[in-house]
Amino acid sequence: MSSKIRLALVFFLLFGLLAGAAFAQDSVSITVRCKASPPEEDWRCNSFAVVEEQVEAELGIEIDLNLIQDNAGWGDYKNEFVLASEAGEAPDIILSGHEDIGAWAPAGFIIPLDDVIGMHSEFDDIVPSLWDSHGYAGEIWGIPQDAEARPIFYSKLLLRDLGWSEDDIESLPERVAAGEWTFADMLATAEAAIDEGIVDEGNGWWHRPSNGPDFLYYYYGHGGEVIDMEGNMVVDSEALVATYELLGGAVASGVLRSDVIGLDWNEVWHPTVAQADTVLFAAGGTWNWPNWSINYVADKGGDEFLFENIGLTLIPAMATGEAITLTHPLTYMISSGSENPDVALELIAAITTPEHNNKHAIDSFHLGILNAQLESEAYANNRLLSSAHYMLDHTTALPNHPGWNAWSNAYFLGIQAVETGEADAAGAADIAIAQMQNELGDGITVR
Amino acid sequence: MSQPPDKREARSRGNALRAHLSAYGFLAPAGILVLIFFMIPVAIILYLSVTNLASSNFTSDLAKMEFIGLKNYRTLLNDQFARKIFFNTIFYVLFTLSIFNVSLALIVSLLTTHIDRGAGFVFRALWILPRITSPVVYILIWKRMMAEAPFGIINQFNNWMGLPTYNYIATNPWVFVVVVNGFIGLSFGMIIFTSAIESIPRDLLNASLVDGSSKLQRIRYVIMPLIRWPLLFVFTYQTLSLLTSFVEIQLLTDGGPGLYRTEVWSLTAYHRALSNYFGNAQWGYGSAFAVLLVLIGVVLAVIYMRVFRFDELVAEPRVETL
Repeated sequence: MSSKIRLALVFFLLFGLLAGAAFAQDSVSITVRCKASPPEEDWRCNSFAVVEEQVEAELGIEIDLNLIQDNAGWGDYKNEFVLASEAGEAPDIILSGHEDIGAWAPAGFIIPLDDVIGMHSEFDDIVPSLWDSHGYAGEIWGIPQDAEARPIFYSKLLLRDLGWSEDDIESLPERVAAGEWTFADMLATAEAAIDEGIVDEGNGWWHRPSNGPDFLYYYYGHGGEVIDMEGNMVVDSEALVATYELLGGAVASGVLRSDVIGLDWNEVWHPTVAQADTVLFAAGGTWNWPNWSINYVADKGGDEFLFENIGLTLIPAMATGEAITLTHPLTYMISSGSENPDVALELIAAITTPEHNNKHAIDSFHLGILNAQLESEAYANNRLLSSAHYMLDHTTALPNHPGWNAWSNAYFLGIQAVETGEADAAGAADIAIAQMQNELGDGITVR
Repeated sequence: MSQPPDKREARSRGNALRAHLSAYGFLAPAGILVLIFFMIPVAIILYLSVTNLASSNFTSDLAKMEFIGLKNYRTLLNDQFARKIFFNTIFYVLFTLSIFNVSLALIVSLLTTHIDRGAGFVFRALWILPRITSPVVYILIWKRMMAEAPFGIINQFNNWMGLPTYNYIATNPWVFVVVVNGFIGLSFGMIIFTSAIESIPRDLLNASLVDGSSKLQRIRYVIMPLIRWPLLFVFTYQTLSLLTSFVEIQLLTDGGPGLYRTEVWSLTAYHRALSNYFGNAQWGYGSAFAVLLVLIGVVLAVIYMRVFRFDELVAEPRVETL
């Protein structure tokens, strides 16, 4: 090989390396991790693929987008992020429950966004109340991805059997929202349905069959607080006892099954409630609707069957006199290990538009996060969303606090105790408070 | 010409050393595995158990973890349900072990070795199905069978026959926890016992019949003494295995219903350290549960080895030492 050819080869090699390096500088790798129930929630991650080219054009870079989306259990999903963060392999964007801010912010796994949110006008239109659940230590740590309401689903079919008129049935959500029709009325209606043989004992009202956010609204509904004004964890024993009295009383009166906790979600709970012919009232979440429509009543007409036979309303007023619900927004958080947090935020901003969020909201029956969505034709014309969006005005949320996990597990122990008859309401409250004090020590104040 | 005594002694010491080194060499691979997969993890969880490691302060740097002494152990001992979970574990191990893992395993082995060889093989193959089926699929089958009406297969039959229906698993959770785990554990003992029975020389078994013993007497006086070692091995191994097993319980009842009704110690360690619906998993606190489980396992292993005289069972036959 002549020296000229060798020189040319070296030149081309060097040129190639330099060109590659220059090209690599403009190529940014972004990994997004989402949990979604397919197919109705797939837009959580898939939306990023839709805006990828748009963001590339805006920033003048090439994005190597890696979307990881499945329906793993929450516990495994959250552990995965914690371990990946510590291993330096965390995704750039993680979608999870807002309450994880309470654990991941102090751990340093996610970054605060206060200084950068203002740079993206898309975020200006987010429903203001949603930001409340995204704060920790005075800063904002995530961008809402969706919102939902956790309503009471009522069987129109069974209420008709009970002698309710169509007017009575259709006006129920308004009467509940106004505080005219209370939780006590709901239990009385369920008892009447059992007495008249319209539903079997224990099928007057079902709540969820496993631990979860919903249970907190019974405590809120009795005036209870989890976090005080100073940000410290508290438990109100009076509200706790009243909550357990409500749940234990429902079991004692035959309205609620003593073994509702433990029912299999997919084998028993969903297929039973979706048929609308067995359970009169069921406490669920708005996203249950498309799941039922696709998986449980598709052969009966899907949405049409559900509209005909099931309605949804706020949780009727309890001791506070106000109807409530609870929203548990999922939130996009940016990993502190991300090398390109600006690009990650740009991608999140690009999908935080009525156009993109509507797709998720409509397919999965999650409520919109932007004011503009209410005005958009697709959202406003959606019968389901337009019938539920008002619930955001009555919503509550979980706290963002590292102790929330211990608090909620202890609270759930009391629910299990009172519903299985292992303790009365006062005894259940003692169990829960003792558990909280043992695990949280000085971190909990009993009021 | 004979060697001087000191030289002979030195050579003999050298041979002994070489023999020891070879023995340690052969033991080394297993020893290294035990060190890597048992001793080091035990040391790590022991350390984690004296820290407040949780998702909210998670780090893999041991030096950065906050040392809190025995606080986790105090919290554990003050836990109002720790005693209940402990006795649940004893109940679970005792019943599963005695009814299924040893007794029924032995009965199945004896029955299937006393019938036609081919038929015995088929029956044993059927009993192995629970073990070779994925735990998730296996538990789904049980749940589908026992689910309440109109979803469960048994309740469908009850309906057709005009019998009342039940939510079987919620009503009798312990029965199902023991049975479901017992069917899996049974196959292990069955394999060990069957191979032990099959390896007894046929002439010994035939001789007892020729001498006039019945088949039951042959089992009592010939077979049982000859399978003492596998019996004790299964008893010991399965005790320790049950102490740490929780997957089937997690999938079937997740420790419920009610207040930790079927929660066992290893499941609590998992719930605390690795699985938490609302995030912030308590790695340090969960490790304290795990450390106590290791301690219980080690103590039981030592007791078994002493009580059952394992050293005698594994000693060289006396005829070899003559």
